[in-house]
Amino acid sequence: MWKVYKYTLLDLVRNKFAMGYALMMLAVSAGLFLLEPDNTKALITLTQVMLALTPLLALVFTIIWFYNQYEFTVLLAVQPLHRGAITRAQYAAVSTALLGSFLFGAGLPIVAWAPGPIGWTLLLTGAALTFVFCAIGLWIAVGQRDRAKAVGIGLVAWVVMVLVWDALLLWIMYGFSDYPIEPLIVPLAALNPIDLSRILIMLKIDLAALLGYSGAVYEKFFGTFGGMAVSLLALLLWSLLPAWAAVRAFVRKDL
Amino acid sequence: MDRIVFEGLGKRYGKHWALRGVNTRFAQGEIVMVIGPNGSGKTTLLKCLLGLVRSTEGAITVNGNIIGTDPAYRAGVGYMPQYAEFPRELTVDQLLRMMTDIRDARSGSTDDRLIAHLGVDALLDKRISALSGGMRQKVSAVLAFRYRPNILVLDEPTAGLDPVSANKLLDAVMRAKRDGATVLITSHIMEEVQRLGDRVAYLEDGRLRFALPPETITDVTGEKSLAVALPKYLAQLPAHHVEGL
Repeated sequence: MWKVYKYTLLDLVRNKFAMGYALMMLAVSAGLFLLEPDNTKALITLTQVMLALTPLLALVFTIIWFYNQYEFTVLLAVQPLHRGAITRAQYAAVSTALLGSFLFGAGLPIVAWAPGPIGWTLLLTGAALTFVFCAIGLWIAVGQRDRAKAVGIGLVAWVVMVLVWDALLLWIMYGFSDYPIEPLIVPLAALNPIDLSRILIMLKIDLAALLGYSGAVYEKFFGTFGGMAVSLLALLLWSLLPAWAAVRAFVRKDL
Repeated sequence: MDRIVFEGLGKRYGKHWALRGVNTRFAQGEIVMVIGPNGSGKTTLLKCLLGLVRSTEGAITVNGNIIGTDPAYRAGVGYMPQYAEFPRELTVDQLLRMMTDIRDARSGSTDDRLIAHLGVDALLDKRISALSGGMRQKVSAVLAFRYRPNILVLDEPTAGLDPVSANKLLDAVMRAKRDGATVLITSHIMEEVQRLGDRVAYLEDGRLRFALPPETITDVTGEKSLAVALPKYLAQLPAHHVEGL
């Protein structure tokens, strides 16, 4: 697995998209810190950018990369290698390359302008989202023969997680505001890795107070050590389960 | 000695049988030209042998062992696909090292003659993205032959190669045969099929109609050219005739 990982990563670090992603994040992050005198406000804006862009780019890049590599992946499958090792290596390499781009682009300005718990949480959740959405992208790509269909499914998944899920939660919260449904919102939010990441950063910024009772519910659960551990475990599961499903699907797939 | 044995091999995609009841055996040191119309099952047959596709029924035996999920037998397999694609940002040298590492090949154990013969030595420092389609085919040929395979699977190997390089590649095929490799080649170029093949395996509608020496086909029809003889031979073959073990 490590041999495939090493050379795949070597190829990916020279990839123009990965470099472009790093430079774009660097420009956005540095621009925000330069234009906004209040670093906390800059971090809040950067959080919004990261929560939308990191999942989208990880998802779309992984899908397109898998199709571009398909013929070579077939050649790898003809070597004396277990198929599972090929997919695991490819997942690790794509995630590492995009993680490197994210940490370079967002990490350097955060270290320079706003080192501290909020910045570290932002970087941690960004890293987690990179692993999560690379895994989801790989799962989608392995399962679909048609590249356009796979990208379409990826975009729908992203829209659901970044917009629709939130709208659904808001609708439930306002529609059933006469009932004690806030405790139900916590597990529902944990079912969406983007929401989960948003909550984790929000609690560090202490914006939860602005969200009233639901903010208090989030704080009561996610603000504790146990809550943090559960949310990080949830993000880990969000990476491992799609990655496992992608490996399983690739092992069984006719190439 | 039989290198590869197909026994009742079948592959179904949904309701469509891409291969059905393929029975044949290929010996070591034999070149088999796999031919047939588009969609006849040639690629599926080769993919079953390479472990890329799981057969629905039947079995494939390689060097006396039925192939299953253990990929170890592929250490002895060289494969050249019709269209070669490699990681675009690696250099040719890095690609060769990657494959050597994956195969745990020791230095000196590889056959590097084709690197010089096809002029790939001049490309070693170039990135894959800078290579033309023909150059990538040459790199692909080098990879197929480099690890001294005892089974070579070549899918339209000369397509995209200039005539000089194509001849050098076919010379390498003859060398591999002399070294005892079993070579399976798909080709639509009948001169190539007639010149190289010890046998011609003809597939139609997923069934192996026959696997015969090309001279048998030309002798039966009284034609010198296989391209002319083949349609005549097929016309006189009983409609349901299939190759048996």
